[in-house]
Formats: sequence, C-alpha cells, structure tokens
Amino acid sequence: MSLEKRKIAFKTLGCRLNQYETDALVSDFDQAGYEVVDFKDAADVVVVNTCTVTNQSDQKSRNIISQAARNNQGSMVVVTGCMANNYKEKLEGQDKITYVVDNKRKASIRQLVDAHFNGEILHPSNLDGDVFQFSTVDKSLHTRSSIKIQDGCDNFCTFCIIPKVRGRAVSRPLPEIIENVKHTLANGFKELVITGVNIGRYEWEDKRFEDVVEAILDIPGDFRVRISSLEPDGFGDRFLDLFKHPKLAPHLHLCLQSGSDKVLLRMRRMYAYKRFESIVECFRVVWPDFNFTTDLIVGFPGEDEDDFQQSLDAVNQFGFSHVHAFKYSVRKGTRAERMEEQVPEKVKTSRSAQLRDQSEAMRKSYLNRFIGQKQTVLIEKIDEQGWASGYGEHYVPVEFKVDGISKNTFHKVRITKLKGENESLTLVGELELI
Amino acid sequence: MQAIKIDESFYKVKEVRRLTDETFSLRLPKKQFKFKAGQHISLGIQGDYQSREYSIYSGEQDEHLEVLVKEVKEGYFSPKLSHLKPGDLVEVNGPFGKFRIDEKKVADHKFVFIASGTGIAPFRSMVRTYPELDYQIIHGVRYGHEAYDKDEYAPERHVLCTTGDKSGQVHGRLTKYLKKTKFDKTTQFYLCGNSNMIFDALEVLKDKGFDRDQIHCEVYF
Ligand SMILES: Cc1cc2nc3c(=O)[nH]c(=O)nc-3n(C[C@H](O)[C@H](O)[C@H](O)COP(=O)(O)OP(=O)(O)OC[C@H]3O[C@@H](n4cnc5c(N)ncnc54)[C@H](O)[C@@H]3O)c2cc1C
Ligand code: SF4
Repeated sequence: MSLEKRKIAFKTLGCRLNQYETDALVSDFDQAGYEVVDFKDAADVVVVNTCTVTNQSDQKSRNIISQAARNNQGSMVVVTGCMANNYKEKLEGQDKITYVVDNKRKASIRQLVDAHFNGEILHPSNLDGDVFQFSTVDKSLHTRSSIKIQDGCDNFCTFCIIPKVRGRAVSRPLPEIIENVKHTLANGFKELVITGVNIGRYEWEDKRFEDVVEAILDIPGDFRVRISSLEPDGFGDRFLDLFKHPKLAPHLHLCLQSGSDKVLLRMRRMYAYKRFESIVECFRVVWPDFNFTTDLIVGFPGEDEDDFQQSLDAVNQFGFSHVHAFKYSVRKGTRAERMEEQVPEKVKTSRSAQLRDQSEAMRKSYLNRFIGQKQTVLIEKIDEQGWASGYGEHYVPVEFKVDGISKNTFHKVRITKLKGENESLTLVGELELI
Repeated sequence: MQAIKIDESFYKVKEVRRLTDETFSLRLPKKQFKFKAGQHISLGIQGDYQSREYSIYSGEQDEHLEVLVKEVKEGYFSPKLSHLKPGDLVEVNGPFGKFRIDEKKVADHKFVFIASGTGIAPFRSMVRTYPELDYQIIHGVRYGHEAYDKDEYAPERHVLCTTGDKSGQVHGRLTKYLKKTKFDKTTQFYLCGNSNMIFDALEVLKDKGFDRDQIHCEVYF
C-alpha cells in the first residue's frame, strides 16, 4: 500500500447550505487522513457539490464536472448536490462520473470513497441517508461556520425547484444542534450562521425556530450568531425580542421576491407586502440601523410595469443594504415554467438594470450612516500591508489598519469613511483603543 | 445480503370516481398514510418523471386517500391521471403544507371556506375531519354541475356561485357574494384555488377590515 496520502479536491456551487456541507466533508476526509488539495491541483478524488437553482447554475455545474474529469483523468469523480437529485439518471449515464450521490446521502461520501479504494463495490443508494449526519467543521477556510438546523422545504413556491430536489422539511433535533454548536466553538469559530433551506419552519417536538436561536445564544463563550436567509412568514413576535441579546447580529436576509401582492400570490408566497412592511417597521422602531437584505426576482411571468415599480419602491422604502436580484429564468420542473405571460428577455434585462441601480444607491446610503459610528469587526483576512478586513455586527464590510493582532478576533472599530463603488463599497475605520 | 426494499411510496389506484366530463376523483388505499386536513400530496405516475401537487380530498379518518382532479385539456399531467384505471400505480409523496385548521379554534370560531373550481378539495377534507366545525363554503364555478359532491354539505352551509349559468344561489363571481355578506369579526377565512380569485377575494376581505392573519391561502396556479 502506498504511504502517500490520497488526494481529494472539492468544488462547491450554489448556496450557503452547500458550502456548509462541503466544509463538513472536508473535515471528515481530513480527519480520515486524506490530503485536501485545491481544485486546480491533481487529485485522486474530486467531489463536485452542484446546484440547480437556476438554468445558469445547471450550466455551471455541468462545466465544472467536465473540468474536474478533464483535469483528473482516471481519478474518481463524485457528483453530489441538487443537480444529482434532479438529473440523477442522466448523470449516472455519463462515463466521466464515477458516483452520483443525492443530497440525502451526501454526508456518507467518505464511506463510499473508502469502500472504493478498498476494492468494494458500493452503490450510493446503499449509503446511509441522513441529512444531518455531517461531522463538525474544523478545517474550513472561514472564520464563521454554518450550523445546519433544518433541511428541505414544502412551500412549493412556483419558481423554485428546491422542494423537488431537497425534499420535505425536516428539522434537526435540538440536542444535536447544541452539540454541534459546542464542537464548532471548541474548534475556534467566532461566528455561527444558522442555516437551512427554510429555517423559519423549524419544528422538532415542541421546539420552534425561536427556541433554537435562544438555546444557541445561551451557550457561554465569545462568539456571535447570525441568521441566514429567512422567509417573512415563518416567525412570531417572540422573534424580535431575541435581538436584544448582544450575541445576535442585527441583520436579517428576509426574502421579499416581489413588491407586488399579485406577483407574490402567483409565486405562491403566502405573505403580503404589508406583512413584510410590518416586520421591517417593528425592527426599525427599536433599532433604526437594523440591516435588512433581500432577494428580488425580476420579470416573473405576468409581472407588469406596475408590479415592477412596486419592487423598486420596496427597495427604497425598506432601505435594503443589499439586494440579491435574480432575473427570472424558466426553471424546468417548476410550476412557473408552465405559466403564460412570460416576460420578454429585453424587458427583464432593462428592469434588472434599473433594480441594480436602485439597490446600489440604497447600499451606499445605508453604509454612509455608519460613518462616525462603531462596529465590532471579526477579522477574516489581513493582507501584506497590514489591512484587516471583515464584517461588523450589522454585516457591513469594514477595513482597518492593524499591527500585531491576528485573524479570527473581534475588534471595536470607529468608522471614518466609505470607499469603493457599488458591490465593492467598503467602510474604512480605525481601531478603537480601549 | 441486503433485503430488497419495496418502495412504500407507490399506491395502487382503487377507484376512479367520475364527477363531471372533466373532473374525477382518484381513490387510493390509505395504508399508513397520515396527514392533516388541508394538506396536499405530490403525485407521480409510474414511468413518468413529472409530478404535480394535489390537495387531499378525503378526511383524516376516511378509509381512502382521495384526490379531486380536473383534467386541464392543454395540460401535461392531469390528462395522464385521467387515463388511470384501478390497479395502476401512482407515486405519493407528502403530506405537505401548512394550509390547515388551527384545532384550538374549532370550538369557538366560524370558518369561511372560499374556493374556485377544484379548490374545494381541502375543504371537503376539513369538513369530513371536523364534524363539529361551524363552517360555510363559498364555491365559485362556471356551471352548476361543477359543484363537486354538493350533497355532502348541509344546504345552508354551501353557497354556489356560477358565472356561466344561473343554477347557483349567486349568479356571478364569488366576490359579488363576499362583498354583500357580513361575517363575524373573528372568522377564519380559508381561500383556495387560482391566484386571481384569491387576489380579488383578499382585496374584498381587506376592505371589510379583516386582518391578514385570519386569512389563509392555498394557491393552485
Ligand atoms: C398545492 C397545490 C394543490 C393542488 N391541488 C389540486 C387539486 O386538488 N386538484 C386539481 O385539479 N389541481 C390541483 N392543483 C393543480 C395541479 O397540481 C396541476 O397543476 C393541475 O392538475 C394541472 O396539471 P397539468 O400538468 O395537466 O397542467 P399544467 O401544465 O400544470 O397547467 C396548465 C395550466 O392549467 C391551469 N390549471 C392548473 N390547475 C388547474 C385546476 N385545478 N383547474 C383548472 N385549471 C387549472 C393553469 O392555468 C395552468 O397554468 C394543485 C396545485 C398546487 C400547487
Ligand atoms: S420557501 Fe419557496 S423559495 Fe424558499 S426553498 Fe421553499 S419553495 Fe423554495
């Protein structure tokens, strides 16, 4: 047997959940004695964690799989993620792919790879299927780690393929989550991001989403907690009170998708604009600088000028600091694929450009209000010139000059100015001397 | 050796009940399937890669698991369902969804169910599941014969609105009836069917001062 370590490379596409799951696989293989190498380098095993949310992500996933196979001829290519669920048969028929592993069995990929190298033939369908089986992340490149509390979604929004590829909503038992958090903190992480497909729908025994957040916040230690993307229909009044806890970051990515009630209904989003408005108002009354970011879809079937204008108005009214704008593209297998009144590409492109301009202006105005204020920054990177960068508690990007302090530590920074343009806008500050 | 796993999500069609030329119900064995009235399932046909969602038409304690389907002529899936015969296999996934009755409210609230076309399906399930429910169904259809299983509901609880003939108590859209009717302040409204009807009905209810939290929606298309 060769004494050399087997080399494994990973490539992740898509959402934060995928990133988390890859991180957990990296830890798993690392602990088992594999050498984790860069995707560009030659490897014995390449794992591609795919995404299928848009047609573009399908195409990207396909390109990455081809690239992985081309660069590592004769190596094992494992394809997993949402594309593996959506196009299982098609992918299984391709010679360049050794194994196709669906989301449910993703956490058992090491078992599969080990078996392969031991000469056993194991079909992925015989692997354990537990979406929460992932080991604790300890070797990721990040200072923040995701905590997966939930998987799947059964909202069946008409544009979304996720209910078909991730399956029904399942929640991870709270004791397991707490154990996972403790491990993650013991591994040195300072920021935890609560992640899942639709986390507001958490339901385990009598515990709901608020109980999970509260239980995590109550764990002793020097860390902060961020909530990843949330649907505006998934939580009650107790939720607001949680943000009084100093460990919970004042930021929410609350998915609006459209400013028009008519379009929201066609999307099967069961909240109204007014509901979104009342959530934002409740928070901003208490914390005027509370950071809201969102997703908006442009050019959904049937979206007319008035509907679109309502989306533009929403960006202004809610002062989003970031808008993840998706130009609607027909997604195979979704209900919206079969809708009439598809919006012409030219119109979608022009609306996208308007939305981008509007959201960039809002981003600038939101960030500007931090000048003269303080942020607690978790340093993610320090460059050769001694500039540290990271995010403040409001999830605003901050840079400042440091000397003799290290990555993955919290620092109070007084913001002095704003630099850059558009998406690269960054706050610049000075270290507060205590 | 691994035991061969029999896929438990496949069900044999027991009965196809024709309700109109276009609409029928599929009865499946209930097996161990558990759900809450108002929820839906996703149905697949053996050998076909597509699937569609259908509200459960039967009650929680009924012997069958039943769905109500309208064959959409230019559609892909519903015409295929309409060709199914007893003994054919369908794949059932679910149950899904939060469109359910809040059991705590059953004893002391009024329930108003507003449906267009096959959107009546979850309401039949609710009515069969909670015999003590104080409800009213407002059903909007084109023609009177589309009042699916009308005889199962007490006549004073079922308001039929027809736009294509005069056989309903109301001739016109169901919003016409909503506008002129008074409802208790704490009524729980459930709306199900196509999004245009739901949008218009929501506007009427909002104008009447009802809070969005007491209105529950299930959009079919
Ligand atoms: C949660 C949920 C529950 C549903 N429950 C039911 C149900 O209980 N019974 C049922 O018949 N359908 C129900 N539907 C609709 C169903 O899933 C299919 O869309 C429908 O059977 C048509 O499928 P298709 O492939 O033939 O046509 P598609 O290609 O899916 O639809 C083509 C067009 O047909 C129209 N259409 C879709 N459904 C209906 C309908 N029910 N009546 C009239 N026109 C329609 C729409 O304009 C749609 O764009 C439900 C949908 C959802 C999201
Ligand atoms: S809530 Fe809607 S958009 Fe989000 S995962 Fe579920 S179906 Fe998709």
